[in-house]
Amino acid sequence: MKLQVIRQRSLWWTISSVIILSGIVAMVISWNQFNSPLRPSLDFVGGTRLQLELDCTQPDTCNDPINVGEVRQILAEQNLGSSSIQVLDQYAISIRTTVLDVDQRTQLLTALNEQIGTFDSQATQIDTVGPTIGRQLLSSGLLALIVSFVGITIYLSLRFQLDYAVFAIIALFHDVLITVGVFSILGLTIGTEVDSLFIVALLTIVGFSVNDTVVIYDRIRETIQQDPGRNIDDVVDDAVNQTLTRSINTSVTVLLALSAIFLFGGETLKYFALALIIGFTMGAYSSIFIASTLLALWRSRFGQPISAISADPSSSDDG
Amino acid sequence: MGRQRLLLAVILALAFAAAVVIVVVPVRLGLDLQGGSQLTLQVKTTDAVPEITPEKLEAVQQVVENRINGLGVAEAVVQTAGENQLLVQLPGVSDPEQAERVLGGTAQLDFRAQRPGTEQQLGITFQAQQLLLAEKERIQDSGDEEAIAQNQAALDQSNEAIAEFFDRTGLTGDMLQNAFAAPIGANSWEVGLEFNQEGGEKFAELTKSVASTGRTLGIFLDNELLSAPSVAVEYAETGITGGRASITGRFDAQAASELAVQLRGGALPVPVEVSEIRTVGATLGRDSIQRSIYAGLGGLLLVLIFMVVYYRLPGLIADIALIIYSILTFAIFSLLNVTLTLPGIAGFILSIGMAVDANVLIFERTREELRAGKTLYRSVEAGFYRAFSSILDSNVTSLIACGALFWFGAGLVKGFALTLAIGVLVSMFTALTCSRTLLLVALGFPGLRKPRWFCPNLPQSTSSQAGVTS
Repeated sequence: MKLQVIRQRSLWWTISSVIILSGIVAMVISWNQFNSPLRPSLDFVGGTRLQLELDCTQPDTCNDPINVGEVRQILAEQNLGSSSIQVLDQYAISIRTTVLDVDQRTQLLTALNEQIGTFDSQATQIDTVGPTIGRQLLSSGLLALIVSFVGITIYLSLRFQLDYAVFAIIALFHDVLITVGVFSILGLTIGTEVDSLFIVALLTIVGFSVNDTVVIYDRIRETIQQDPGRNIDDVVDDAVNQTLTRSINTSVTVLLALSAIFLFGGETLKYFALALIIGFTMGAYSSIFIASTLLALWRSRFGQPISAISADPSSSDDG
Repeated sequence: MGRQRLLLAVILALAFAAAVVIVVVPVRLGLDLQGGSQLTLQVKTTDAVPEITPEKLEAVQQVVENRINGLGVAEAVVQTAGENQLLVQLPGVSDPEQAERVLGGTAQLDFRAQRPGTEQQLGITFQAQQLLLAEKERIQDSGDEEAIAQNQAALDQSNEAIAEFFDRTGLTGDMLQNAFAAPIGANSWEVGLEFNQEGGEKFAELTKSVASTGRTLGIFLDNELLSAPSVAVEYAETGITGGRASITGRFDAQAASELAVQLRGGALPVPVEVSEIRTVGATLGRDSIQRSIYAGLGGLLLVLIFMVVYYRLPGLIADIALIIYSILTFAIFSLLNVTLTLPGIAGFILSIGMAVDANVLIFERTREELRAGKTLYRSVEAGFYRAFSSILDSNVTSLIACGALFWFGAGLVKGFALTLAIGVLVSMFTALTCSRTLLLVALGFPGLRKPRWFCPNLPQSTSSQAGVTS
């Protein structure tokens, strides 16, 4: 099997553009609905979330499943009528309210314990996030993203050349955009929320999906050194095909580990793993079909590479 | 060959030592795994304190620590986070109600005058309280919740009783500018106080009123008596003037500096706000641990199977290297005292999938060389040699991203970044050194020197050239 990445590049670019565009459309729709490109979780908008489970070891507690109407009524009595209630299973619920202070929360818990039944305090999860935390999270996340982009650009410019680095970063943007787009669509369709772990996932995608690009670049550099006069399109085609098995196999091992987290890791890690699965798959894809083809196009159009930040000709001799 | 044997012995010794570490040193679990509450406190600026300096943050931390210790939660931790935040971790607390209440207000330090006619009662009550405090120390870690609660109730009661013996004077902590411990003589320490103008005047008045009466002045932090010094006779006429004073007594260095810190802490009127609370019940934590173990073993097993099926003999060796990798990485977590959180575990599992990347690169290169007709030994060597620059570049870019995550991320993200970075570094070692050594040792056995165990569907002619040249 041999991939003709250069000849079919307009096909790959179209596919990527369509996915990215539909993601952007979803983000625009989300913006109108939730004032944010993705459906934000508690981490970003602030509030209190109580996850409660009835203590079935107590007599007469678990005779009937939890009645949502009753819960809603208790909330209304405490002026928390606008809260959302989610049934997790027969005996467990999750309630999301505005930020509750310690008195309001204790009052609500007491009322629920008295009227619904005894909840197991060891199986309770309570999160309260103030309104400022989300902004902090977002700004530190963006800062980390920018710093890693700059760091990767500098490193790749030194080890390769500036144009290699630029296209690697474009491929990274592509991976991040598609991951965000898919989660925007999931937010609109099945109500998937993004939390702080989603930002962690994006940063991880940035750090690791550039690996595939680097491996292909390494091959391109090696081939050019052996045969400087060769057509860049052929060089890129060969480099992609020579590293193809490695790209696939590495992605497979990573995806095997991630699917184990997705399947067994529980609720918290499920969507974290999904974001990584999408991002890493896209990382392998964009290295082959986006970064390499763009590099070939650029080099065949403009012949000479744009000089690297440190224009030291000997620096490309290593490796 | 001798060098390989030596390296092999070193690697096996390392793996064995790591396994011992894992068994002996318990790994620290995050609150999301063991159950408990984590509170983030935002320290706020005021007009009087427009900037939170590290010293101020430390003073607030001291006050918070004192209050948390008062709750009697075993192994509670108070850490600073960033420039203006404190993290309070309360393991095993499923409803942080009490903690929130005591952390809500600012520390109130004030100086009071003892009421006439209470001299005897104060002495008795104070002595009783010392006994209670000693008992509290003793039973704090016993886990006997009933006894702890009883003791706390008695303490509260005696605090109230003591507060009854004093009158407020209007001299409060914000008028105290500084408090410090200073040595006087060989084994004796005092605590120096410095008031501002208004504080100095009030202090002079207060000391004048209690000097030579046998009564004391009471220093209260959050309505709790910290210290009750008496004022020497010579100040009966004027009180202690000039805004400076020192408390002497039977202080050793530690006691003096503790009191000074408490006074300084109380003197810092910076409001704190609880900006985030995360509480996980112990049962949920246990569930998460179990799930993580399933996910980790499942992921590891899938990767092991894939490698041996696809890469055959080298795959098997990569598998051994991967198991050594897992043991080493986990041992390093224990040794560095990394707090293992749910995202951290996810990072670890993810790194298992990534750790074989270097081996994949090497083995693909080896196969290419084999197909090009080189001997087995040369192909293996060339595989390691030529794949190195790819491995180095891809790992450095990953480390750059981990570094960015670590410096800018909050607590949760930091753990994840650290586990990933440790994973990347260890995997460089295991994929290069371990698998190379193991592979070369394996090639030392003539029975294993079969190119088709390295690469299927090789042209027949190359098989006969296999041989060890070193």
